[in-house]
Amino acid sequence: MKSKYCMKTTMSSFCTALLFSLFMIQSGFAQAQSRSVSGNVISTVDGMGIPGASVAVQGTKIGTTTDFDGNYKIEAKSGDVLVFTFIGFKSQKITVGSQQSINVKLEEETSELKEVVVIGYGSQKRTLVTNAVTQVSGENLTKTNTTNALQALQGQAAGLQVTSTSGQPGEGLNVVIRGAGSTSGTSPLYVVDGILTGDISYLNNSDIESISVLKDAASAAIYGSQASNGVILVTTKKGKRGAGGQMTFDQYYGVQSVARKVDLLNATEYGVMLNEAAVNSGKNPYFTNDQIAALGSGTNWMDHMLTDNAATKNFSFGASGGSDTSVYSTSLSYLGQEGVVGGKDLSNYERYNFRFNSEHKLYKDVVTLGENLSFAYIDKNGIGVGNQYNNSLRSAFQATPLLPMFDADGNYYDTTSDNEPWLAGAANPYAMMVYNNQNESNNQKLLGNVYLQIEPIKNLTFRTTLGLDYYAGEGHSYSPVYQLSIYANSAFDKVNQNMNKGKTITWDNLLSYKFDAAENHHFETMLGTSSINYDGTSISATNADVIFDDLEHAWLNNTTNKDGAKMSMTGLKQETKRMSYFGRLNYNYKETYLLNATFRMDGSSIFSKENQWGYFPSVSGGWIASNEEFLKDSNVINFLKLRASWGQVGNQNARAFQYLSTIKSNNTNYIFGDTEGVLTPGAYPDRLSNLDLKWETSEQIDFGFDARFLNNALSVTFDYYNKKSKDWLILAPILATAGADAPFINGGDVVNEGVELSLSYQNKIGDFSYNISANGAYNKNTVGKIPNADGIIHGLSNELYDNAGEFYRAQNGFPLGYFWGYKTGGVFQNQDQINNYKSASGVVLQPNAAPGDIIYQNVNGDDKIDASDKTEIGKPNPDFTFGFSLSANYKAFDFSLMANGVAGNQIVQSYRNQAGAYGNYTSAILDRWHGEGSSNTVPRVTEDNRNFTQFSDLYIQDGDFLRISTVTLGFDLAKMKQSKPFFASQFRVYFSVLNLYTFTKYDGMDPEIGFGSSNDDQKFSSGVDVGYYPRPRTFMMGLNVKL
Amino acid sequence: MKNTYLYIFCFSLLSLGSCSLDTEPLTQLTDTNFYKTTDDAYTALVGCYDGLQVATGASGLGVPVISEVMSDDCFGGTGNSDGFNYAAIDEFDITRSPSDVDLLNGNWIGYYKALYRCNVFLSKMDQIDWKGNTTLRKTYESETKFIRAYLYFEMVRLWGNIPLLTEPSSENVPQANPDEVYKVIAQDLVFASDNLPATAYNATTGGRITKWAAKSLLGRVYLYYTGYYGKTDLVGVVTKAQALGHLENVIASSGHGLVDDFSTLWPAASVDKYAGESNKENVFAIKYTYTSDYNGNTDGNHWLVMFGMREFSSYPYGRGWGITVNSKLWNVYAANDTRRVATVIGIDEEKIAFDKKNSQREYTGYYNKKYTPMVDKDGKDLPLTMGSQFWDISQFQDYVVLRYADVLLMAAELGSGNAQAYFDEVRKRAYKANFTTLPVNADNILKERHLEFALEGVRYWDLLRQGIGTASSTIAETTTLLNGGVPGTKTITAAKIQATKGLQQIPNTQITLSNGVLKQNAGW
Repeated sequence: MKSKYCMKTTMSSFCTALLFSLFMIQSGFAQAQSRSVSGNVISTVDGMGIPGASVAVQGTKIGTTTDFDGNYKIEAKSGDVLVFTFIGFKSQKITVGSQQSINVKLEEETSELKEVVVIGYGSQKRTLVTNAVTQVSGENLTKTNTTNALQALQGQAAGLQVTSTSGQPGEGLNVVIRGAGSTSGTSPLYVVDGILTGDISYLNNSDIESISVLKDAASAAIYGSQASNGVILVTTKKGKRGAGGQMTFDQYYGVQSVARKVDLLNATEYGVMLNEAAVNSGKNPYFTNDQIAALGSGTNWMDHMLTDNAATKNFSFGASGGSDTSVYSTSLSYLGQEGVVGGKDLSNYERYNFRFNSEHKLYKDVVTLGENLSFAYIDKNGIGVGNQYNNSLRSAFQATPLLPMFDADGNYYDTTSDNEPWLAGAANPYAMMVYNNQNESNNQKLLGNVYLQIEPIKNLTFRTTLGLDYYAGEGHSYSPVYQLSIYANSAFDKVNQNMNKGKTITWDNLLSYKFDAAENHHFETMLGTSSINYDGTSISATNADVIFDDLEHAWLNNTTNKDGAKMSMTGLKQETKRMSYFGRLNYNYKETYLLNATFRMDGSSIFSKENQWGYFPSVSGGWIASNEEFLKDSNVINFLKLRASWGQVGNQNARAFQYLSTIKSNNTNYIFGDTEGVLTPGAYPDRLSNLDLKWETSEQIDFGFDARFLNNALSVTFDYYNKKSKDWLILAPILATAGADAPFINGGDVVNEGVELSLSYQNKIGDFSYNISANGAYNKNTVGKIPNADGIIHGLSNELYDNAGEFYRAQNGFPLGYFWGYKTGGVFQNQDQINNYKSASGVVLQPNAAPGDIIYQNVNGDDKIDASDKTEIGKPNPDFTFGFSLSANYKAFDFSLMANGVAGNQIVQSYRNQAGAYGNYTSAILDRWHGEGSSNTVPRVTEDNRNFTQFSDLYIQDGDFLRISTVTLGFDLAKMKQSKPFFASQFRVYFSVLNLYTFTKYDGMDPEIGFGSSNDDQKFSSGVDVGYYPRPRTFMMGLNVKL
Repeated sequence: MKNTYLYIFCFSLLSLGSCSLDTEPLTQLTDTNFYKTTDDAYTALVGCYDGLQVATGASGLGVPVISEVMSDDCFGGTGNSDGFNYAAIDEFDITRSPSDVDLLNGNWIGYYKALYRCNVFLSKMDQIDWKGNTTLRKTYESETKFIRAYLYFEMVRLWGNIPLLTEPSSENVPQANPDEVYKVIAQDLVFASDNLPATAYNATTGGRITKWAAKSLLGRVYLYYTGYYGKTDLVGVVTKAQALGHLENVIASSGHGLVDDFSTLWPAASVDKYAGESNKENVFAIKYTYTSDYNGNTDGNHWLVMFGMREFSSYPYGRGWGITVNSKLWNVYAANDTRRVATVIGIDEEKIAFDKKNSQREYTGYYNKKYTPMVDKDGKDLPLTMGSQFWDISQFQDYVVLRYADVLLMAAELGSGNAQAYFDEVRKRAYKANFTTLPVNADNILKERHLEFALEGVRYWDLLRQGIGTASSTIAETTTLLNGGVPGTKTITAAKIQATKGLQQIPNTQITLSNGVLKQNAGW
């Protein structure tokens, strides 16, 4: 921190007062006359004495530990409470009476009771957590053999929906916690080892110790303005104190293929369809029956685009260990995944990870210092997976099978001189993919922190952490000269080269204090500050006329063009600053009545001075009913905790400086004089300012319980929540007369209401142990209060096909991003039906229709079919998300199966550009109407595509699916009975299938579709399949070795 | 209390983390640091020209295109599987495409964005340090007001009822009485006519607005307003005599004149002999160039492609989306009128091997030659030969708003003493050796205007200013055209045109955004 920016605020004095008032509670305990009490501490498990157990007089500093045989001696007086504790055992409290000797039997704790959950700025015993927090162990993530942690989380936590935006290696994932709540995206906050970051896909699964998903506002509120979409806390692996060193080696190799290809028409079927469309359009058929028969199967474009047996591989090496004062954990790993579309040259992802974490205790544990450091280097190239104009796969869906791949000379076929209407203008989609996707990029991310913690007096700790999130990236691309058709051609070659880098520096200071204010009243308090400063720069330049013609030489120095029109360049710098103050109070009475309150205030430089600060409180409580007398000895209910929470969190996903009116000078030119291409630069105010812009807020209540039954074999967690996200930061459309682009404004809300249930059952029968767990969530989402006159944030047009209209919206009273179009009511079978399809007042509604045309429903009941009849015909967000897993062990064998799915959502499928008559169809068109009674679902084909140019429910399919995501069978040689000691503690080989099978009625290649809209300001759209890169099915072999 | 010092120490550590939140945009101008110097003023003025360019060249449907589609000279045409928006405009009938409730929303937005630039700049005039150069200030102010007047004139002709803003406002502004709009147009043009320097056109940078452009546009506004609304003067601002005076002044002092050969005005009609964009007949043009792309550059003529032959190139004519020309237009020319072949591409007449009838809707055999994309002898689209990658949006033919021939015919129409001479000058150029005299009168002038300005986006407004009755009966037609190669009946009814008063649809999006403050035009 540069000192010139630093200043003391009034906040700290406020906090001082608060903490001191808490400290005062503990004073005033008088000391009295003591005597000696002795005894022994034994374990209920084996009846042996426990050495090293701690014995303390509650509320004092008097304490001792047991000797080797479990004996102790301590000074205490009558009425004192002795507390006996030892790691792994339930602590016990005994009030001193008149006796001299007190013997204690400690019960072993079940694993659940010991378990600690990572929460914001700290950790907490699972039993005491009063919020909706789901923790997933690193082990469960590694089991999935996925390339990144987000994909591994799929189906593992109730209420967490993870959807691929594309199956391409290294592409992003949509993460939604408890329903989409904002138009500016659903991405949660990621925190890796305490450092806030925007993405965790750079992490290797094997580096992760655990992931906590903070779902309710009360758990997330400690992250204030960043947390409205929930928080995902990642802890990387640390060494264990006192544990010996251990090395691990993990490796897998797999081959990937597309699980299900979309069924397109072959040349014969296509010829039939072309003929039929011509006849239906009043023309003569193109082909005779003999000609059609001779067409054969033609080119199968999907087969050309898709690659079988693309490799995926992973190697990781790790080591960890520790002494009494120092622990360390380190790893090095490599991951490579080739794409199943276009293969390695066009679509590939490789990642190298390095991690080093260590921690050291100094001065008798008074000072702790350590660091967590991870570095990732990612090499990536890929094909276009965006909207209809930036999607390499899409063109293969509609390329005619009559187009050959190569010409007689073996070059990609060029249709420029072809006159057949289906060839003229058609371009070889494989060649297009090759020509337009010559790119490679690499980026690096260094994320880490260094921390220093001092504990000057017991239970008072001060911790300061300096964190760094540094990224750098570069890329270049080459686009060659080519000619494939009159539309698909490039007259000159081009090189783009770009670089970016940036850093976020975080400085956190935490002060925490634990104390018991009176008997059984336990307090934990924490106060903290956090300052986060980001700055980043980027530069990109494009030039033409390259002296080489390949990607390898595609660097700007090799370009020779001097003409300004063929060049472009951008370069910019951005910075943002945030400052936060926060505090937390945990209180419990006898570990039975629990209370937790947090408060955070956040300041952000992206808002104006007046609206810079936001305040985010939360409170939650819990009651562990199973600690009460009436349940304490229950054989049915081993544990039962009821929870309730309320909190507010924020979102600052607006672009910076919306309180200023900007002057646009790029792309603003006029040409004076006669020389084409010579531009004079201008400038104009392009955006209205909004001084009043403030934080988006999400308020959530949550009721839930955690319970364990049947001797702790069955655990159940249930939550009900109601989350209201309000004051969205949106670009609401404004009247054109305002003359400039709309500013971000606050307005609109969405209510997500739902329930979540997680079940887990484990059992052991001799050598056979198994675990079944399942989770599911129901969510309902409703938009309200969009602040413009029509209450609608309109979706984009031209997304599904050329000249396609708007088809998704955010609108008051409807689910976020719902699909808006015509409802259809079957197909007109004959002219009588058309003549009789009338409004209430007797007007024929579709007078221009012909038999075979689609029937549009007259939703508003007036005398015509027009835009006012468009209505909700689907929604992208599922009602249900669920996952389950099953694992079993028998001696040296282990087996696991994981599955996940969604239900209740719809998908928009649009593969064909309806602006042309000759695009290919999927085989669904074979069910079309072609004569009375032939079909009442798919309309007839025509050359003007009249039944498909209006967005209707013909485009909608149900998106329900259940995916068997991972099935693994493993065998551990180290668990075999060995004649002599085996060199490793684990030597496991396994065979795994990823994405084994997907149960779905959706007829595309993959029902898991995260893509929505090409507009970054409309991230609420999803479930739009305009040609989707499918997730592959992978068969793999792997090896895990632990020495 | 020995720990107190410790606590204080710890808290002071905590407060170390407090930092200021001051930042500013590092790569963006804001209105707090702009509009200060004369350099800023020039940049802002160019921003207004750019606004005009984007509004008329790259927003919504091209107004020159739809002006022709609405007239009796063109049909909606376009692709056989395209939507029916052009048909709805052509036939003044929204039931042809009921879902197109936002036919011209892009235009509407583009116009108001350009107007906003002008209004902001005009409101900042006083805060700019002109360093005492009042001439410069008046020149910039005049150019900006001309742009504003031009935009409002296009809008008020198109929609009739539009919100009028002469300063920036985010309020929900209702539609103004057209008279109020014309008053602003007239005042702005009078200001520009009075304050722009009286420099000859060829001493001004090509593309800059001149005194002569302002005066000529004033003549056009006068004739349209008094014709369409049946008034005797331009809302009390300009009388007939004043309007004529301005035009006579252009004829006497501007240096403009007619080029010798009509065909050399049009690149596709003359190719190598093209007279160039700054030829002496060009009084005002909106300029375009080939640098449009899909990364935000919008310098091109995005509508020109609509007039090209459907998906078919034949040197020198380039491909396009096929707005078709009514065969009646070909026939209205006398065979010895040199303007016929300079105006219309005749597929059969020029023996063009057009083979895309399958894709063309409303095929007539004729296309626009004055405004058409072009290819070189190798069939390569001209924008591509210039270095653009985008043959469609990077067309660079300027839109000539006002030609000197128009000034001559307007002056004749307004009753100039030299009316017959002006009339003959235009006709002599057209007929060359075959010229025979024709008496100058209103009827003959309007007929001549049709021949002279066909397919330039002028005809429809010349019809409309003769009254909706004349316009509708001239445009209405029932004929047979080829849709995808299949004959179909095309009907444009006079009743539909009359129902709309010849005006266009107000975008429904704007009506809903205004919560009903904006009212839809009759007939839509």
